Amino acid sequence: MASSRVAVVGSKQVKPILSANKTEAKRRVLNLYKAWYRHLPYMGLLKDLQLQSRVTWLSFVLNTVKDFDIAVTVPETKVKLRELFLKNKHVTDIRAIDLLVIKGQMDLVETMRIWKQKTHVMMFFKDTNIKKPTEFLTRFYEGHD
Amino acid sequence: MATLFRFWASARQVLPKHFTRTLSSAPSSSLTHTEKKEPKESEITSITVDAKDDITSLSGVPEEHIKTRMVRICVPARNPMQSGTFNTKNWRIEFETRERWENPLMGWTSTADPLSNMIVNFSSKEAAVEFCEKNGWEYYVEEEKAPVFKKKSYGANFSWNKKTRVSTK
Repeated sequence: MASSRVAVVGSKQVKPILSANKTEAKRRVLNLYKAWYRHLPYMGLLKDLQLQSRVTWLSFVLNTVKDFDIAVTVPETKVKLRELFLKNKHVTDIRAIDLLVIKGQMDLVETMRIWKQKTHVMMFFKDTNIKKPTEFLTRFYEGHD
Repeated sequence: MATLFRFWASARQVLPKHFTRTLSSAPSSSLTHTEKKEPKESEITSITVDAKDDITSLSGVPEEHIKTRMVRICVPARNPMQSGTFNTKNWRIEFETRERWENPLMGWTSTADPLSNMIVNFSSKEAAVEFCEKNGWEYYVEEEKAPVFKKKSYGANFSWNKKTRVSTK
């Protein structure tokens, strides 16, 4: 059982998805980031204005109506946004970057139109690679080995 | 500002080309600067990318099932009964076994592993390897064992030097 890994080197010519070069792809990524960034204040909990947002008319005046009743403050969402973008910083394939931008755009629209629900928004904050407990008791509490 | 721009725009029509270029502070090495015609973005039909595809960031598969999985690439064994050999024609990938447990009420076997029963067939070993590479899975290849055909004949049992059964006389 020899574990093998074929090293594929070199480059190839492919059909572009959106961008023709790195600069254009980067521009798209930055535009998406900015669009998300601008939308963040309308998404969740705004800490200092939390009390005011309870009062409907005042919150309309102050433009602090929140789309989702989630316990995440705006600074936290900004940190998360940055983290989610930086998670894919190793991606160099222009087509992959384009597809990621398209997916991000879809996510943004779904969030803005409130097609997403609270749980779907909170999925952004969920870590998928959860470390398994190693100690006896914590493993026992977990249920399975 | 608007009037300035209007002046600049009109000046551009009036003034010689090289003069407006210096005005707009465009990089021009000489007066006889010829514009290099770059193709429009919509005209570009092919781009150069790395030969190795990587869809781990796109597939939506949780990190846990990319980084921690081991894939076995093999040819399934022939059915030992009198069936044909058709199931040995393909290469397949299968994932390592994860924890399974028994349902205390019905005794059914359960697992939390979404890839536990996923078996994908490929026409060649290379295709299977490429698929694993693309998805970022660790894998190993179990090479195919060609069946060795032994010649047997009844008459050999009576030969002095070709006996097939050597343990008992």
